[in-house]
Amino acid sequence: MQNKKLKWKSDFEKSVIIENFVNRGWIKSQEKEEEQTDWNVYWATVWNVRNIFNPKNGFRLNDQQIINHFPNHYELTRKDCMVKNLKRFKREQDKEVLEIFNFDFLPTTYIFPGEYSLFVEEFHRNPNQTWIVKPAARSQGKGIFLLRKIQQLKKISGTTVTSNMTQLNLASKENYVVSRYIDNPLLIGGKKFDLRMYVLVTNYKPLKVWIYNKGFGRFCNEQYTTDVAEIENMFVHLTNVAIQQYSDKYSQKHGGKYSIDALKLYVESAYGTDALNKMMDDIHNIMLTSLKSVQAVIQNDKHCFEMYGYDILLDSNLKPWLIEINASPSLTTTTPVDKNLKMNLINDVYNIVLPNDDFPDNDQKQQQPTKVGGFTLLYDENLDPNNRKTQKRQSVKIWK
Amino acid sequence: MQQLDNQEILMKLKSQKQFWDIKKKIKQGFNDQQKIGVNDIQKFAQSCEIEDQLIKLISHILKKSKKRETLKEDQIEFLNTSKIKWTELLFKNLDIVHQKTKNQEEDDTNTDSKLYIYDEKNLLAFLQTFKQQQSNTLYQNVQFQSNKILNINIPLKSSQSILDKYQYLLLQEELSDEKINKIRKQIENEHLDIELEKIAQTFVPNGERCLLYLKYFEFDHQDTVLQQHFAKLQKECLNQLFYDELLEIDGHEISEDTFYFVFQEQILTCLKCFIRDRTIKENIRIQLQSGIKKEHAEFQLPITGFFPFKNISKYVAPLCYLSTKIHIIYALFKEFFCRYFCFLHSISSESNSILSLCMQIEEIVSTRSPKLFHHLKIIGCDTLKLIIHQLVYCFIGDMDPPHILTIYDQIIGHDSLEILVILCVGFLNKYKSKLLLAKNQENVQQIFSELREDRFQELVQYAYKQ
Repeated sequence: MQNKKLKWKSDFEKSVIIENFVNRGWIKSQEKEEEQTDWNVYWATVWNVRNIFNPKNGFRLNDQQIINHFPNHYELTRKDCMVKNLKRFKREQDKEVLEIFNFDFLPTTYIFPGEYSLFVEEFHRNPNQTWIVKPAARSQGKGIFLLRKIQQLKKISGTTVTSNMTQLNLASKENYVVSRYIDNPLLIGGKKFDLRMYVLVTNYKPLKVWIYNKGFGRFCNEQYTTDVAEIENMFVHLTNVAIQQYSDKYSQKHGGKYSIDALKLYVESAYGTDALNKMMDDIHNIMLTSLKSVQAVIQNDKHCFEMYGYDILLDSNLKPWLIEINASPSLTTTTPVDKNLKMNLINDVYNIVLPNDDFPDNDQKQQQPTKVGGFTLLYDENLDPNNRKTQKRQSVKIWK
Repeated sequence: MQQLDNQEILMKLKSQKQFWDIKKKIKQGFNDQQKIGVNDIQKFAQSCEIEDQLIKLISHILKKSKKRETLKEDQIEFLNTSKIKWTELLFKNLDIVHQKTKNQEEDDTNTDSKLYIYDEKNLLAFLQTFKQQQSNTLYQNVQFQSNKILNINIPLKSSQSILDKYQYLLLQEELSDEKINKIRKQIENEHLDIELEKIAQTFVPNGERCLLYLKYFEFDHQDTVLQQHFAKLQKECLNQLFYDELLEIDGHEISEDTFYFVFQEQILTCLKCFIRDRTIKENIRIQLQSGIKKEHAEFQLPITGFFPFKNISKYVAPLCYLSTKIHIIYALFKEFFCRYFCFLHSISSESNSILSLCMQIEEIVSTRSPKLFHHLKIIGCDTLKLIIHQLVYCFIGDMDPPHILTIYDQIIGHDSLEILVILCVGFLNKYKSKLLLAKNQENVQQIFSELREDRFQELVQYAYKQ
């Protein structure tokens, strides 16, 4: 029974968090802003987590405290760090005899300003290629644009950019990532969409990963086209709800969100069961490979867990591509269905990290079932690590 | 009905793969025997069930050779005259709708959303008028039961026979992977409609559903033909019809549905093609309107022979899951409508008609749940008024797509809409305890406005609970 009066704190005034905590009978921490100690459960912003783990602050979490981010989560969730870590991991894996991981899910990507010259070479090799430019550390589609001419980079450099330049000076200090634009996305009803899926990591060393069975496709409101005249039409190309909500065609009722279950039914019915299974296998590979790529660099901490929002794009061959990984996936609810999903999601997160409101020790964590609410265990490194492929197949079965 | 002679039957047999499989089996059975008599073949065929297979194959060919005839006249004359009245009413509604659209064009602030020719409530209200005519001389011997909305003297199957027919669904268990793979192979290899029906009654894997439907409707080698037909209809859509506007308005509701909004454009395209499709009139199993020509009317019936109605979009929507090709979705929708859904909008005594299905539901609920039946009557919510939307639209919008597709499977499986009777009864039983506490219509609306999840198997279970 969940009846322990744990103290909770939240940096987000989100009903799905607060209602979940209240429903469990937990009490809101009454600590003052400057104090950091009087809580058991903290749903924090990434910045506050960084402060808490900053050694200069001299703050140490006790055994009865749990927080929702790892100290240096950005290694996975900043776009430039994610790319850097994946490329590094791939170089390491290329030296291995056994090919366990498949890296063919990251579109060709360059980090600006450092890799600008490499990008220019590639750009000239494929002059008809469209690229997508994104600030490394922003969210909700902010600052993103599609690129077909080098001169467009004036948007981020602040000065004229010509094709013979080998260096790019950025107007702001932030990095950018520039990726090959997937211009053949899978369309349903003629519209582009991407997938938002949730993954919970309760430990990095050893790695323990849970995948949630509910998620959704986020649809654009305009019919997809590769027409150059529509390249700046964000309602055609960018699936972020934060952008699509401003479209005239945006619906408050469904919010452009199409359930993963419905998508799976569509893929299976229209393309076949084998095609669906392969697609899901490939998605699981993306999740595991990306997490493995940062396993060595993430500061593991028993007080931490993290619920990631994976953004995945399917192309017209049903191949999934990794777009980005979010450390703080939106918990805003746009529709009743959305609220139901996120309420259950947070509830299930805490059923895993605090079963029966207890802080489980290592033995108790090992004895956890492989399915808790909507979460299914995707990977547990404590089990034979060489059986990763067997685990993947099992998890697809469990997922279905 | 066109009869085939033996030569024609043989020609058709030779076009079927099973015929050659059977022939091969017989040859293998006799190895290299030189002289084989007819009696030898007959004995061999009987001993290894080849005779049964051949009989099925021949019946299948004979069945398919029958030209599908559209039911125009009902055996009950009263219903024929009612159909004419219904058509007249719809023409009047059409005039009203046309006027409303004109007014809306002139005045943007007037956003009257009732821009449809009829909906399920109008249809039920019209069927109810039959009861008032019970006391006329045509049906002197009918026992007038005042507690039911509909009690017309039409041939009706016993409700027990319907309950017995679908009782096997209670025993359905989750199938093992091995069994599912077996069913997959069966669907790939099977062509006979009675065998496909058997599969559809049991379990259809998602990945093979489209193939099963295409085979059942004999579309599996017709891709080019279907594509060409659809392309031709799409060209005709360039000429705007008044009904296009009504279809666009109808599409708004489906465009708000979380499961179907992604298919909004496809649904509209299919419907616009549908109302221009000349082949529907000869393929539809039952004539919906009486086809009266109004000499000086601005609008006539569409070429299909019936008016589009509210929520027609719903029938297309679940089929959008089955294929990426719009001409396939269209072909499936057209076939489902012409064979089955047309009956939900027909004034008829046929067993699949809305009238028969409604009477079956009333009969079952009034006898097996009399308390609920009478309570609803007392608070002004007749059983049929409560369930008519789910019945007419096959629970689309009430159940998630996988359950709707299971309903479609059962419709094919039994070549009948009677599964809807079972589900409607189950639906009422599921909410019985809450309904019994309801004191008025507002309470009832409150029950159904809450977020709910109705599932196929669950409603079947409830249908058999008393």
